[in-house]
Amino acid sequence: MKQRLGSIVVTLLLFFLTTLYAKDFIYNMHIATKTPYTKEGILFTLDINQTNPDVVLLFDFDLLKHQDYLYQRVDMQETNKEDGLHIRYTYLIYPLKSGVVHIYFKLKKRVTSEDSVAYSFSGDRDNVKGLVTKDYNINLTPLTLEVKPLPKGTKLVGDFTLKTYLPKNRAKAYEPLPFHIAIRGKGYLPLLDSILPHDTNFTLYKEKPIVHTTSNRQGTQSEVKYTMALSHDQNFSLPEISIKAFNPKNQKTYTLHIPPKQFIISEGNITALIDDTNSPVLLIEDWRWISMLFSYLFVFFCGFISAFIFMKYNNKRVKKNFDPIKEKIKEAKSKKELLQILMSDEQKRFASSIKYLEDSLYADGKIGLKEIKKKALSLL
Amino acid sequence: MKQIYEKITLLKKELSKTVIGQEEMINSLLIGLLCEGHILVEGAPGLAKTTTVNALSRAINLDAKRIQFTPDLLPSDILGIQIYNQKDHSFSIKKGPLFTNLLLADEINRAPAKVQSALLEAMQEKQVTIGDETLKVPAPFLVMATQNPIEQEGVYRLPEAQLDRFMMKVIVTHNREDEELEIMKKAATKSFDEISEVFSLHDLQDAQKALENIHIDKELERYIVQLILATREPQRFGLENLAREILFGVSPRATIDLYKASRAQAYLAGKTFVSPSDIVSVTHHVLRHRIILSYEARANHITHDAIISQIIQKVPVP
Repeated sequence: MKQRLGSIVVTLLLFFLTTLYAKDFIYNMHIATKTPYTKEGILFTLDINQTNPDVVLLFDFDLLKHQDYLYQRVDMQETNKEDGLHIRYTYLIYPLKSGVVHIYFKLKKRVTSEDSVAYSFSGDRDNVKGLVTKDYNINLTPLTLEVKPLPKGTKLVGDFTLKTYLPKNRAKAYEPLPFHIAIRGKGYLPLLDSILPHDTNFTLYKEKPIVHTTSNRQGTQSEVKYTMALSHDQNFSLPEISIKAFNPKNQKTYTLHIPPKQFIISEGNITALIDDTNSPVLLIEDWRWISMLFSYLFVFFCGFISAFIFMKYNNKRVKKNFDPIKEKIKEAKSKKELLQILMSDEQKRFASSIKYLEDSLYADGKIGLKEIKKKALSLL
Repeated sequence: MKQIYEKITLLKKELSKTVIGQEEMINSLLIGLLCEGHILVEGAPGLAKTTTVNALSRAINLDAKRIQFTPDLLPSDILGIQIYNQKDHSFSIKKGPLFTNLLLADEINRAPAKVQSALLEAMQEKQVTIGDETLKVPAPFLVMATQNPIEQEGVYRLPEAQLDRFMMKVIVTHNREDEELEIMKKAATKSFDEISEVFSLHDLQDAQKALENIHIDKELERYIVQLILATREPQRFGLENLAREILFGVSPRATIDLYKASRAQAYLAGKTFVSPSDIVSVTHHVLRHRIILSYEARANHITHDAIISQIIQKVPVP
């Protein structure tokens, strides 16, 4: 119980609390430690609490970029209650050098009213109404950190593990041998310029490391994969490689090892690769161009025929629709039917034929159906 | 009767002195005059609409007036108003241009609904009420209203109920090549002949009476009714496709007008009886403004005339 109480007290002591007062709001800064190690991730929080509920407050807060540190916002919580606005910004800060490091901030207070907020929401998509605010820049005193240096030769800071993957260690001369190294763990991003020693006699092909990283309040979890390939014309070996790492949590230095590797290179038949005949006879005749040509011709022919058939059919249809009355006159089976067809013509072209028909139907006119059809068709 | 018919032929000839072509419009105007029906003319400007009305008024010695319908026109502008007389402290009526025999209502769809209603009410009732006084319009009273089919901006479309009051809707098209040539020559040389009175009001009354003697067979009477019914129940006549295209068929007023117009058409053709062709020749004019097309038909650019032609083709001729 005593031990637990002690640890709680120690944890509380680690938090340095600064409460400051400004007009309309107060803010508290918390930092996990002011004496971190170089590249040790430290949690920083800023709590802003509105004290004047008569105004509507909005805040813009961020850290200023600086070469002495890196930072990442990992969380922001905002609650708007009756007593005012409460915001908590949470950051992870990584100091990049030892000694005194100042962390700089920018904070803007934006004052507005309920009416202005309501008005800004009243616009639609095509009529966006800007929120009218009165802005004040708040000067925040930079936070000073006393950054401790890392043990000499430390390349990684955090808790990491290393894995290697070598699919094969035998190859023919100049054949590339793939080799992968993955460093995974929590801490400052384990991104190294070069893992393998420079003074080797083999050829090294390497790609840009693949980085996967996620940050939260607990720190930065990351994995960096180094993909490379080695090549030589004779046997060679890769010496044991040690990467010195430091874990600031337990303040212990540890080493990640890449065990020594032996590569066996057999001689390849280089002579077979050299072509000693000019314009050699083709082993297989490639006739694919003929099938390609015919397929193109076939597609062209199909397209042509389709268009031709469509045009022919369409022309026929248009022709038919152009003067359908002509077809109807031809198909009329009786005088009355013909009379109906001729009378329905909007252009009233068949007045004389109609007269003949009516005389024939309702008076004593004597004229045959064929003859009237002929007369009517001649009027078209 | 023959004598009157000869006078009508003379009237047509007289009109042709100033109106070249446009037989359909002249024929429809005469049908309207004989049947006391009003004519709605749709056509582009400059197709001799005013000239025809003026020529007809001069040929029959009738009073003719023209009203240009505009959006700011008021009912009192056409009907007339009561004027206060300061001398005897009384009101007197100043009659509007509506009190005439032949009225050309130019671009009727440019005036707002209240003016259209005022005119159409006078057309139907043949009387006008100004203040406390009701005045009869002079007989004969024929309104020829025009509509421009091109400009449709800023117009007040005539409601279907008001369109129904027009006996016929005539679509005036441009003249033929030979007619256009004649117009050009006559206009250039100012050689349009003067119209002289060849038809009196008394002749008109005689012609209207003569119409009653035009025989129409019972079968043809039934044919007229069937044409009308085909607009209301197209499926009965094997016109299922028209059932989708016609929203509302024509009214009983159309039946009456088609009957009257058929007889007048037969009379103008110099016949003593009505034949199917007389009925059909006026069917388009009588029905085209009364059929209400469905949205589907309008979207497919189906015209009233095409529908009427289909009906004529399907309804069996007696």
